[in-house]
Amino acid sequence: MKNEDSLVVPIQPIPYSRSRQAGESQTVLDHIVDDFQDNPEAMKYFYDLFRGVYCHGDAVSHSGKLVGTTCIQAPEELIYAFGATPMRLCNGSYLYDQKGSDFMPAKSCAMVKATLGMLSSETVVPRIGRPDMIVNPTTCDQKKKSSAMIASLGYNVLDLEYPNVKGSEASRVYWQRAVRDFAVKLRELTGNKLSRKSLKDALARTSRAQVAFRRLHNFRRKSPSLILGKDAFLVTNAYFFDDIDRWTRAVERLNEELEQRDKAGFKAVQGKAPRVVFTGSPPIFPNLKLPLLIEESGGVVVADESCSANRMLYDMTAVDEWRLNDMLDSLADKYLKPCTCPIFNKNDDRRRRLLDLIETFNADGVVYQVFAGCQVYEMEYRSVAEELNKAGIPLLYIETDYSPDDKGQLSTRIEAFLESIKNRKRRQA
Amino acid sequence: MICFAGIDVGSTAIKVAVVDEDGCIAGVHVTASGSLFHRNSTEALNTLLARLHLQRSDVRYMIATGYGRKLFKDADDSVSEITANAIGAFESGRALGGVRTIINIGGQDSKAIHIDDNGNVVNFVMNDKCAAGTGRFLDVAARNLELDLEELGDYHFKGDTPPLNINSTCTVFAESEIIGLLANGHGKPEIIAGIHYSIASRTVRLAKRIGIENRVYFDGGPALNRGLVAALQDELGRELVIPEHPQTTTAFGAAILARGEFLAEQGLGKQ
Amino acid sequence: MKTDNPLSQRIRDAINHVDFNRFRFWFQVAAFILFVYGGYVAIDLGSRLPTFSCGYNQEGRAGVCYLLPLQHQLGRPWASLFSAAGISVLTGFLVFGLWFIVFNKAWCGFICPLGTVQDWISALRRRMGIRFSRYSQGQFRQLTKVKYVLLALMILIPLGIGGGFFPSSISPPFCLICPARMILPMFTGDFSQFFIDFSTKTAMVMTTLGMSVTGLFLVGSFVKKRFFCFFCPMSALHYLLSPLALFRLQKVGGKCTRCGDCYSVCDMDIKEIADDIETTNIMTDDCTMCLKCTACCPEPGALKATFLGVTIFEATEQGFIKRMNKGCRNEK
Repeated sequence: MKNEDSLVVPIQPIPYSRSRQAGESQTVLDHIVDDFQDNPEAMKYFYDLFRGVYCHGDAVSHSGKLVGTTCIQAPEELIYAFGATPMRLCNGSYLYDQKGSDFMPAKSCAMVKATLGMLSSETVVPRIGRPDMIVNPTTCDQKKKSSAMIASLGYNVLDLEYPNVKGSEASRVYWQRAVRDFAVKLRELTGNKLSRKSLKDALARTSRAQVAFRRLHNFRRKSPSLILGKDAFLVTNAYFFDDIDRWTRAVERLNEELEQRDKAGFKAVQGKAPRVVFTGSPPIFPNLKLPLLIEESGGVVVADESCSANRMLYDMTAVDEWRLNDMLDSLADKYLKPCTCPIFNKNDDRRRRLLDLIETFNADGVVYQVFAGCQVYEMEYRSVAEELNKAGIPLLYIETDYSPDDKGQLSTRIEAFLESIKNRKRRQA
Repeated sequence: MICFAGIDVGSTAIKVAVVDEDGCIAGVHVTASGSLFHRNSTEALNTLLARLHLQRSDVRYMIATGYGRKLFKDADDSVSEITANAIGAFESGRALGGVRTIINIGGQDSKAIHIDDNGNVVNFVMNDKCAAGTGRFLDVAARNLELDLEELGDYHFKGDTPPLNINSTCTVFAESEIIGLLANGHGKPEIIAGIHYSIASRTVRLAKRIGIENRVYFDGGPALNRGLVAALQDELGRELVIPEHPQTTTAFGAAILARGEFLAEQGLGKQ
Repeated sequence: MKTDNPLSQRIRDAINHVDFNRFRFWFQVAAFILFVYGGYVAIDLGSRLPTFSCGYNQEGRAGVCYLLPLQHQLGRPWASLFSAAGISVLTGFLVFGLWFIVFNKAWCGFICPLGTVQDWISALRRRMGIRFSRYSQGQFRQLTKVKYVLLALMILIPLGIGGGFFPSSISPPFCLICPARMILPMFTGDFSQFFIDFSTKTAMVMTTLGMSVTGLFLVGSFVKKRFFCFFCPMSALHYLLSPLALFRLQKVGGKCTRCGDCYSVCDMDIKEIADDIETTNIMTDDCTMCLKCTACCPEPGALKATFLGVTIFEATEQGFIKRMNKGCRNEK
């Protein structure tokens, strides 16, 4: 064979919409839209949003400086108050997960790996542009340690000091101070000053979004359900990157449609469909594997206790005197005190919240998802299981990660779980 | 003649069970899965029906279970193998005083199920990520020892020295270990016993996660292996209940469920 | 929370979604006018009132704060006090108790004129844009005992007078140092209480002490919300009777997310309201039952004010949203 016969294949860039990344998102989105019936009309906004951003790689616009956040404990109202835009970077893509495993040990949190993978990639999806600052609250170990790695990728990283104990006075003061420091850094970044009016307006904007979410949350109490959990997760996942005012309007439209559905006695699932509360590691698009499996198998996720949905939007800020200092402290309190993330030393607040959700939403069982490697969630399982066992509530523990190859095994477990719930209900009837 | 069928479409074997209108077992059949699930399942069903002198139209309701349950479209419904196994074990264990814990070792997975007094699944735990502790390990061992699978049980009792420790956690690596032991002159009985104990201890570790009750029902193909049963009994320290056809308990459970569904639908129809 | 009667649901919603701060402000104004000026229209609610309707406000008062007659009664000579005539102490206490149990410590949060004055001073501070200060938990734990000490002194010193151990010029000991004595008559144009009595050494000390306390009161309430209530012996006396009260502040621990909003807005810095999820009757000895906590709680039914077991006002999502968003929309 002569040398001239060999061929050099030049690197040809593949347009994003033909990439494997897009394929991954497309598969999931098609499944969400096409394989279920009677999707609400108002969900079209969200389907189109995800199709554009995740499948076609459309750019996501923002105003002012872009501040990426790696955890919901970063006060986004403060970011808005300085005229910047917050964007949650937590990622759900398996391909980024694989990329990110260059940085992290073999058995570690898929979400942190995916976020690192995304930040180290040439094409970042969603196409939000390069963040001017990335705020990394020191919540869980893996997130905390990844901060240095993100910085080494050339980003401007701010470690936001978050306490691991939330009951003591010292931790409250510590966190309030950390929030003030954050405000100072934001001022340096944006060149704007924090005024009473700007913070009040920021609080009002977020508050409106939260009110819209709460209404959606309350609609999900209805039995039989008016809307499936897969759509609710998509709505809250959109909050990560969508324009907040546009998002709020879209959710308000969805709420109106749900109101109509409620009046008309619409059923999105069968009467006996097992109602599930989802807790644990956050489902982030396109990794909505577990909620989708639950709903494919005839169950419905009526509520959740995870940071990509309920926890991100539920707790609202209460202010006593609308002065700048008081608002800042109240804001800090909101991000610390009701938080039920497992990174704290005690988890009685989380257990109580789970029990309350189960009762309020008339749930039949709980599915506890843990990403392999997340030690805090794994360790909390024991106390949660004890508590739910005492209350007589069925619990299914699933350890998984972002890879799609365990769907068969998971579906067996989920189906068995849902079947046992149906049997239980039949017996009780 | 009215009857009901349950078909367990597993990854290694297809099991079919037929029960009559009173819920008594009429017949069972086991065959290899192969790659054409649907065709092989239909063939298995037809074979059994022919043997029992029944027509396909006599089967009023059929439920599919196992990994391939969704692929067998002929069935009226599908149910997870955990639920089916629980029902099958409960029904057959009833005559023996009732069972609460079920251990199933299959071709490629193993599971432990905890049921209540009515046969409903309370909790379960599965190992389906790793072939160690499953029937696959026995296949590998038999091949390396140049024996038939059915001979392993007898060989277990032939030795008079303690079972050897098989240290590898992985079935594939255990192959090398077995070959090494043979080369070093160890006898087949000790090696086989060691393999049985390895599977047994792994299974017991799995089952401990959901708590083990006093009487344990053991099913799945490998339960035919007397040696494995002895090893499991030793590791568990509890009484074991072995059904006559352990491979088909799950299919039997699916058939019982099929009967239940049919009767329930009929009851509704009457109203 | 389900009602079969849509009208009762509407009433309930109207109450739960009320603009709480405004409601409380006007209620306090009305109570203030009643107790400080009611005397002008010959209103007399007796002299066993569980609130600082100061007796020194001779013309305007609509009744007298119980502490004044109590100290006089206890200061009677022992021969008289421990005889049959002493029954009047018990009947007086009984009437006080009956007045008290109707509103429980809401007498403090909604009615007490001295409390209202403090709230007005706080409003002034807010207008001036000055921050309030808080006690640390260590300080809180120590200072909360002071009111019991004052209550004890308020009972023991008059007894001591009756027994001849103290001069009568020290009577009534608490009223001499109480800021209400100086401040409330001011509202009817009576500044006569601002003096130092040089007649005896005791009187001089007591009246100087009284002026200092008033000064401290004014500065304290400016800097800290409801400064005086923390040390109030009336509050201590209230708390001893509160198990019998009909009006209660209840908490349902299972609904609490421990968000701490109630603690943030509490004028008295009471942490238990946020942290304690076991106790149902959540009113502590410092509580003034101003119900700000209930008004700012976002979890439906977690906090509620009940009368004879019937829920009057409770935390609701809609109420929270209305009240917090109002702050967002208006300049306040």
